[in-house]
Amino acid sequence: MSEVISARALRELIGGWLKAGIRVAGPRRVATDQVAYAWLDRPEDCLLGGYIHPHNSIKEFFFPRHESLYEYRIEGKKIALKNPEPLADERIVIGARPCDAAAMPILDHVFNWDFKDPFYNRRREQTTVVTLACREHDHECFCTSVGLGPDAERGSDVMLYELDGDMYEVRCVTDKGGNLMAGRTETSQLTGSVPPGPAKKFDLAYLRETIGSKFESPVWTEATLRCMACGACAYTCPTCHCFDIVDEGNARGGIRAKNWDACQFPMFTLHASGHNPRNTQPQRQRQRVMHKFSIYPDKFGDVLCTGCGNCTRHCSVHLGVQTVLEAAEKSWRNATV
Amino acid sequence: MLNDLRQTARQLLADKKVDVVIGYGQADPAGPAYPVFITRPEDTEQLVFNDRCYNNLTTFLTRKEIRAMGRAAVLVKGCDAKSVVVLAVESQIDRQSVVVIGMACNGVGQPSLAKCRTCDVHMPRHTDMVIGQAADHAIEAKDRYAELAEMMSKSASERLAYWGQELSRCVKCYACRQVCPMCYCERCVADKNQPQVIKTSATTMGNLAWQINRAFHLASRCVGCDECTRACPAGINLRLLNLMLAQATEEQFDYRPGMDKDAQPVLGCFSVKDKECFIK
Amino acid sequence: MSETQTKHDFEPKIVAYVCNWCTYLGADLAGTNRLEYPPNIRILRLPCTGRIDFNLIVKAYEMGADAVLVSGCHPGDCHYTSGNYHARRRWMLFRVLLEGIGFDMRRVHFTWISAAEAKKFQEVVIDITEQTRALGPYGDFRKLLEAPVC
Repeated sequence: MSEVISARALRELIGGWLKAGIRVAGPRRVATDQVAYAWLDRPEDCLLGGYIHPHNSIKEFFFPRHESLYEYRIEGKKIALKNPEPLADERIVIGARPCDAAAMPILDHVFNWDFKDPFYNRRREQTTVVTLACREHDHECFCTSVGLGPDAERGSDVMLYELDGDMYEVRCVTDKGGNLMAGRTETSQLTGSVPPGPAKKFDLAYLRETIGSKFESPVWTEATLRCMACGACAYTCPTCHCFDIVDEGNARGGIRAKNWDACQFPMFTLHASGHNPRNTQPQRQRQRVMHKFSIYPDKFGDVLCTGCGNCTRHCSVHLGVQTVLEAAEKSWRNATV
Repeated sequence: MLNDLRQTARQLLADKKVDVVIGYGQADPAGPAYPVFITRPEDTEQLVFNDRCYNNLTTFLTRKEIRAMGRAAVLVKGCDAKSVVVLAVESQIDRQSVVVIGMACNGVGQPSLAKCRTCDVHMPRHTDMVIGQAADHAIEAKDRYAELAEMMSKSASERLAYWGQELSRCVKCYACRQVCPMCYCERCVADKNQPQVIKTSATTMGNLAWQINRAFHLASRCVGCDECTRACPAGINLRLLNLMLAQATEEQFDYRPGMDKDAQPVLGCFSVKDKECFIK
Repeated sequence: MSETQTKHDFEPKIVAYVCNWCTYLGADLAGTNRLEYPPNIRILRLPCTGRIDFNLIVKAYEMGADAVLVSGCHPGDCHYTSGNYHARRRWMLFRVLLEGIGFDMRRVHFTWISAAEAKKFQEVVIDITEQTRALGPYGDFRKLLEAPVC
């Protein structure tokens, strides 16, 4: 026995949410060959299948690339501060990929371990994540290598599985998801399943065990010398979460904003003295990979990667977590033989 | 062709004429090729050349990490060869100390990229050698800029709305800048904050200011390799911005960057006869 | 003139980037000659038109300008010999980019005003102010400024 919903009913449901003033985001065609997670204006714009992975990730809806923390006005010698209105609207992200949804509990650790980020947490509370299990994958997908898969439920409130005949099986994972879909589904005998995901690209257990002692390994330079030093990997990554605090304004006032930042920029670690502790590109790539597979896991247990493949997919020199770890595993295993 | 390439690279390394050959490698024939840096003659077998060799490798000629490796030989397609010319004209490389290996190219991508459809440099120019053969046919100037016609037929207000929409997707990853061989500044104006000319925020306005800055700093310097467009993770057609300026440069100054190694760069000089019908 | 001045619904903000040696002195002369011109213009003095970075023009719109004036010495008169020639060439191309992106070209003005042309300065400012007032606020651009991020 399962709960199902037809594609038509699902679109009507999205339309109903939009009418009720709920903000709904989902995969949407933004250019001829570009699909992005974006806010929807009309239910028909939402893609419910037929894409591998949008060019961005759903982290944008929780941790936006630019966010005002407060406004300030300078009047004479006084400074007046104004906090932004707390987020009031209810939000739904529909059609998230399991690898994107799985990033949310990972980011929860970061935004709550010390300082509890009110902006992030508020968005998390207000947003329900409806995930669409994957029936296809491409060369860059590697969710299975980091312990997830095409139907991983982690981080999702509701899971949708595509069925034949324009139907979706609905599995509610959390109470939040249950409330959202209550009374919207029909009972059926059909159950959804997904084909196996991509073949494993690397041995996570081996790498986790080894990587800590490989800081000086020559593989970092060999595998990453071609890095162009842009932030495409970090900004399309569902789990990268670095940000910069900047003041934007003039002599009379402005805002203090939180903007995305990326560890691949030489500026990221440049000191005022001119010294740069990560002075070359391979050092910066090493940082990125080690943060994901050594530093973060040592602190929180999980790896900071969900295998979405966006880093490699959007890299102009075909360099990403997957290609670096493949090269590293090969090199380190050969070295120990 | 591939044998010639590998043989040439092997010889250059064996004779110690260069310390590193910047070429293309490809782990998976179904995937794209990517830059490789070959330093030993025996590794030249890794080199490939095919229609998946997108990168403009001349970007690496000005990179600190690559410069530290010593004298370089670099593989160029016809379009990339133009950036070597501009880099030399702008004194960013010592042309004599770089070996430029031209690769005859019939276009990259399946289907061919937009730049390849109006390419008239299938045979690279101003290189030290050219490997392979390809037929060049002249392209009329108007065909080079055909893509602009549709956009320019819209009203100014529609065009601004179009760019606003497109640039709202920009996340300021600066991939467009990083892959560009002409963006060699030690410190980009976008990374300076005293004063902060361009906001670091990836708001629509911040993105527009950045893209205007990027496009105009490339005015009459952009060779049209279109790497910025290919590298953009948000799929913004930056090519159109570059085309606007390339068209104006060709029409007003009869100049195409990287085509003539002795021509003076347009914005590096002036003429008292420059037209000024727009100045009152 | 002040008696004939009427109240307007919209007062345009106009940013003028001028060179130190010609247009700024032209404006100064307009002042000492008591030539009246609308207060809508905000004058920013730079050493030379050659120093007027195109980013400044964009910045003016970003900060809410409804029109921009760029002005310097006549050809041949540059204090630094050729700064205005370089600037002219740059503007020839920069205008193309602005136009292609869809800027309203009726809101970007380029002039040559010498230190002696106080009258011309007055006329140009009146002219631009009236034109911009007729165009109204630069609404298309405000839309971009206010576009939300997520």
